[in-house]
Formats: sequence, C-alpha cells, structure tokens
Amino acid sequence: MKNIAVFGYNRLSFEAINRIDPENHIIKVYDYKSTNIDLALEKGINAAMIEFRSDDDLKAIGIGSSVDTLFCCLDEDSENVFLTLSARALDKNLQIIAIIENPEAAEKLLAAGANKIIDPYQICGRRIHDMLKRPDITDLFDHTVFGRNDLNLAEVMVPENSFLQDVYVSQLELSTHYNLILVGIINKQISDQMHFVAEEVDRKLNPGDILVILGPSREIRAFKKDVNDEFCNI
Amino acid sequence: MLSKLMVFIAYYLNASDSYKKAKTFFYDLLDNPHSRKKRIFDAAMIVLIVTSILLLIYDVEHESSLLGGYFESAILLVFVLEYLLRGWIYSDSYKIVIEEYERALYLNIGFKIATVLKRVIRKDLEYFGSYFAIIDLLALLPSYRSVSILRIFIIFRLFKLFRYSTSAKLFADVLASKRFELLTLLVLTCFMVFIASISIYLFEYKIESSNIWNLFDAFYWTVVTLATVGYGDITPQTTGGRWVAIFLILVSLGLLSFFTSILIAAFGEKMLSMRESRTYEELDRYASFIIICGFGRVGKEIARHLQRERQKFVVIDKAERNILLAKQLGYLAIQNDASKNEVLINAGICRKASDILCITGDDVINVYITLTSRHLNKNIRIISRANRHENVNKLYQAGADNVILPFEVAGMLAAEFLGQPVAFEAISGILQEQRDIAMETVLVSENSPLDNRQIGQLDLWQRKLTLLGVISDNTVHLKHKNKYKVKHRHFYFNPAQHFVLRAGDMLVILGRKYGIEHFRSQMEQPRLLGKAKT
Repeated sequence: MKNIAVFGYNRLSFEAINRIDPENHIIKVYDYKSTNIDLALEKGINAAMIEFRSDDDLKAIGIGSSVDTLFCCLDEDSENVFLTLSARALDKNLQIIAIIENPEAAEKLLAAGANKIIDPYQICGRRIHDMLKRPDITDLFDHTVFGRNDLNLAEVMVPENSFLQDVYVSQLELSTHYNLILVGIINKQISDQMHFVAEEVDRKLNPGDILVILGPSREIRAFKKDVNDEFCNI
Repeated sequence: MLSKLMVFIAYYLNASDSYKKAKTFFYDLLDNPHSRKKRIFDAAMIVLIVTSILLLIYDVEHESSLLGGYFESAILLVFVLEYLLRGWIYSDSYKIVIEEYERALYLNIGFKIATVLKRVIRKDLEYFGSYFAIIDLLALLPSYRSVSILRIFIIFRLFKLFRYSTSAKLFADVLASKRFELLTLLVLTCFMVFIASISIYLFEYKIESSNIWNLFDAFYWTVVTLATVGYGDITPQTTGGRWVAIFLILVSLGLLSFFTSILIAAFGEKMLSMRESRTYEELDRYASFIIICGFGRVGKEIARHLQRERQKFVVIDKAERNILLAKQLGYLAIQNDASKNEVLINAGICRKASDILCITGDDVINVYITLTSRHLNKNIRIISRANRHENVNKLYQAGADNVILPFEVAGMLAAEFLGQPVAFEAISGILQEQRDIAMETVLVSENSPLDNRQIGQLDLWQRKLTLLGVISDNTVHLKHKNKYKVKHRHFYFNPAQHFVLRAGDMLVILGRKYGIEHFRSQMEQPRLLGKAKT
C-alpha cells in the first residue's frame, strides 16, 4: 500500500484522486481552507484541515514517516514551494509532485526538492498538439490507458526466487500466457531509466528488475500473484 | 425573331461549359484577389506599363523609332483587350436576358427586347463609368503619338499602376476614408488662398519691385507661400502686403499640420487592417494551415510545437498584448474577434485551413467559435478546450471533434505519475517523442503484403517491434477478444497469432522510429511497384 498525501483540494487534485486505484493506495487530502475540506468531504473523499506552514503539523500527518508520496496542489506557486521545501527537509526520500501555475515557478520547485513538476497548461497544449499530429494514437490512449477503459500500465518487480529469475526476455511470452504486453524493463542495478523491450538485446531477468507491462487489470493482478508465488511455474 | 435568337443565345451560353470556363479563367486572371494567375498577370502588367512609360519619355527628346512604334502598338493591343475583357467579366448579360424572359413568361406578358437592352446597357455603363475603367481608357490615349499633347495622358498610365499594386490601392483607400476631413480642409484652403490672393493683389499691384503684374501672379505667390516653399521671386514691398504675408504664413502652418495629422490618423486606423490583409495574403500561399483561436498559455505551447515542426498556423486573439507577443515570436497573428464569421472566413476557414483550435480561457467564447466554425465548414477538424466539466457536452453539440479539459488532463497525468512513476515517464516520453522510440500506426492498405496476413506471420519480434494492438472498424474482427471501443472503431489489444489483418486496419507499433519507418516502407513498396506496373 502506497500512502499519498494530497495538499490542496481543487479541480485538478479531484481529477487525480478519482483516477488513482484505491485498492493499492491510501489517499488523504489536506487543505488549510475549511470550504475546500467541506467540498471534499461532500464527495466522500477522506480530508482534513492542516496548517501546512507548521513542520510539526506535517510530521503529525506522517511526512517523514508513513507518507510515501506528496502531491502539492495548492493554489499558489509560493505555497507549493514552501510546502515542498518543508517536506523535503523532513524526508530525503519522499516522492514530491507539484503543480505549477506560472512556468517560472518550475525551476524554484525543482530547486526546493520536487521530483516532478506538472504544468496543466503545458500538458494541455502538448495534448492538443498530439491530437493534431497523431489523432489515432492519442484517441487510443485517451480511451484506454488514461481513460475509463480497463487497460492499464503497471510496474511489476521481479522478486528473489520467482519463476521469472534467470528467464530470457524472449522466453517470457507474456502475450500468450497472460494477455499482457511487456513494454519495457528497468534494471535497478544500472539506472532508474526504462529500456524498451523493442530496442534491447535479449537478456536474462535478475531479481530487482522492474517489468513495465500493459494490459487489463485482471491479468495484471493474476500475473503479480504468480510472480510472488514461489512455487508457481509456467 | 430577334428576341427569339437573343433568348436562344442566352440559354445556350447558360448551358455552355466552355463559356463558363473561359469566363472563370479571365476572372481568375483579372479580378480574383485569391488567384495566383492574377498575381502573375499584375506583375507582368506593371512591367509593361513601366516600359511603355519609359519609351514615351524617351520619345519626347528623340525621334520616334520604328521598334518603339511596334512595341507601343503591342501594348495598346494588350490594354484594349484587357479593357474589353474587364467589361465582359463585369456582368453576365445573358443572365439578364434569361431573367427578363422568364419574368415575362411567368407574368404572361410580352418579352420586350428594349427593356432588356436597356438593362444590359445600364449595367455596362456602370462599368465604363467606374473610376478604374475611365483611367484605363485615358491610359490608351498616349499611344496616339502623332498628337503630342496626348502625351500628357502618360499620367493616366501611371495611375493605371494603382490597379496592379495593392499598396498603391491602399493609399487611395486611406485618402478616400478621410474624404470628409480632406474636403473640409480643401474648402478652407481655397478660401484662404482666395483671400490672400486678392489682398496681395490689392496691396502690391503694379509696385515695381514686388513683381505682381496680374491676379495670377498674386495667386502664384499665395500658393508658393502657403506651401512654405517661398521662392522669393515675388516679395511683398508694402506694409500691407507684408502683413498679408505674415498672416498667410501663420495660417499655412496650421493648415499643413492639419493635413499631416489627418493623413497620420487615417494611416493609423488603416494600419491594423493593412497588417491583417498582409497576414491573409501570406496564409493564402500555404497549402494548409491550422487556426489557433486564443493565445494564452495553452495556445503558446501548441504554437511552439507547431513552429518546431514547421507546420503552418495562424493565431487569432482579441487581446493586443497576446498578439504582440505572438508577433515577437515570429508567428502569423490577427488581432480580431474569432467568433465573427467574417474573421474566420478571411482567415481561410472555408479554403485551406485544416484544423481549428478553440482554446480561449472562456467556455462561452469557445462554444461560440466552435459553432461558427462548424457552421462555416462541415469538414474542418475542431478541437476545443472546456474549462468546466459541464461544458464538454455543449462543445460536442456545437460541433467539436475533440474536447479537452486542461485540469482533467493534468489530473489524469498526475494520477498516472502517482501510481507508476517510471512507467508513466516512459510512456509520456514516447508520446512526446523525447527519445527515438516511438509509437506509431501502420496502415494496412489494399493489396499490400499485410493484407490478409496473420499477425503470427509478421515476425515483428525479429524486427524489434512490439505490436500493441490493431485499430479497426471492420466488423469481421468483432469475434476477437480484448476489444476496446475507441470512438467509432475498436482497438484489439494484444491480438492472437491467428488474427487476420484486413485492408483499412491499423497496426499500433512500438519501436525505434527508423525501425517502424523501415517496416512501413517494406510493406508499402511492393504495392506501389505493383501499381506502377499496371
């Protein structure tokens, strides 16, 4: 279970929360405006008031301990920068994602310690450009991976002693056994970058590698279960 | 009998294709502002006119040469032909005949040839009486070289240049737009000239050193002084005359500055539409382009991408600040209201625009522009931005092909990132083509090696390509599993080895860009070669 703390309740964070798989994530929304909290509670979202300027309050909700990911979605760029700085000081390994309003804030947020910046306008612009350039692919992704259809991307780690260990990528044949497509592999020992199956030479899987797969969630669940089952062998 | 023949000819012309083709051809050549032919014709005419003027000027001091005479005759012929053709395309006389004939039939009255002729002639006179037609006619006169006084009509040949140059026409338009102010100024000036001429004449007449011997001298002095030229060949000597000079000089300063300010104001007003028409001309040269309505943050981002890919586009925005910025970035931009039909038509929505993006920050405006665009062009692709959820359906109803919600998209990406950061980075990397890995579609065309082939036979693994699925609207495939509805088609995810491809299907392939390109060209080549052979 991944623990996600969302700061700031608005249209954007609402969309994001709505799309996160609730089975594998614990999500809680924090805001310093009581009106926003009321709105969130109305929609059935777990929300609480917080004074984000106080480090003690941040510690109290689990930043520096239980929270894995922080989503800074406050209305002002300055507030997000402040929150990022405070959180980064409390936890060096925290995953911090921040929204920006003004493009100039991107550098400041990165300097403050954010891992990923999301600029809604930029994303929207790119998206429209994609629609113009490759309407088929964009439609496909909108309706499947990003949309409501059940086709998802997932990351699956190769554990110790699983049937995947020492198997060649070419022997894996996920598409016949599971109705899944293997998109890429992340070799954690070398880097965090993903290598596409298509561009790789055939290699053996090691424990700790992460497989990036695409497919229906039922198949993904089945595959994950089998991977973690030491005695499974296909 | 005559009237019958006339009606017969009129109906014959109405039905004749070649007649209409010829007329359209000459319309394109002479009058159609959007045609390429006209541009070439105008340039050729400018060269002809300038050459003819140079020849006529040469003739003033030299003996008329034989070659020059031939050239002048040739030019004359071109001018006469042009004059007549313009008269021809100005109106459709046969339509008037048909209209009158049908009216007579309907009302059951006699078909009177006189009324028809009257209407036809009136229409023709309308053309021959127009400003440009008169200039065209007068410009013919200097060709008659034996009467040297006619040479003065060279001026009209110069005026004829106005017809062929848009900037010259614009200058005339600017002057015409300030007709009232200029007329007021002219009356005032005439009044001043009259008073000053009479006064100086009364004071200085027959005074030896002042050189005013008649009323024309007085008038000449007044104009020279009023224009602040002051040659000094005539100078007032009496005190009264000098007072007149002082008065005239002060007034002339005022009149001149008034004149200048009128011109500047007129040009200032015209400048905007001048720039706009330049932009329209530029757009006309492109084979296809995209119209971006609204140049905010989203618009800027799109424009940046399009510019990088050398795609042609034009920005329309009401705000001066945004247009200024767009121009600074080197984009074509029009400062106007995109919800007006006229603006979109001028921008070429019915001609060469392939897509229109309605992406202002205001949903009301976006809906309105979408509706206008769909109304003007049934086939154009419209992508609109909705800022609120409840407006998405309204935009689709208004005719948008795609609707995008900035916050939803951003939220969606944020959610993907929160869930699977690495996988998401990788996918967004492909979608944005940051690396040389790409996801592309390969179309199965008829009779290509892919047509009727099983997926298992494609050896994509050998080619280092990953097949994600097949997009198709072919109902043959519906029996297969793993289908997802994508608009009016289906996406068959991870198709089985025995999946048989049909023409019109699209393979969605992940791989290196040149790998996909190579695969595509291999699949297309045999088909194209086959076509060439047959």
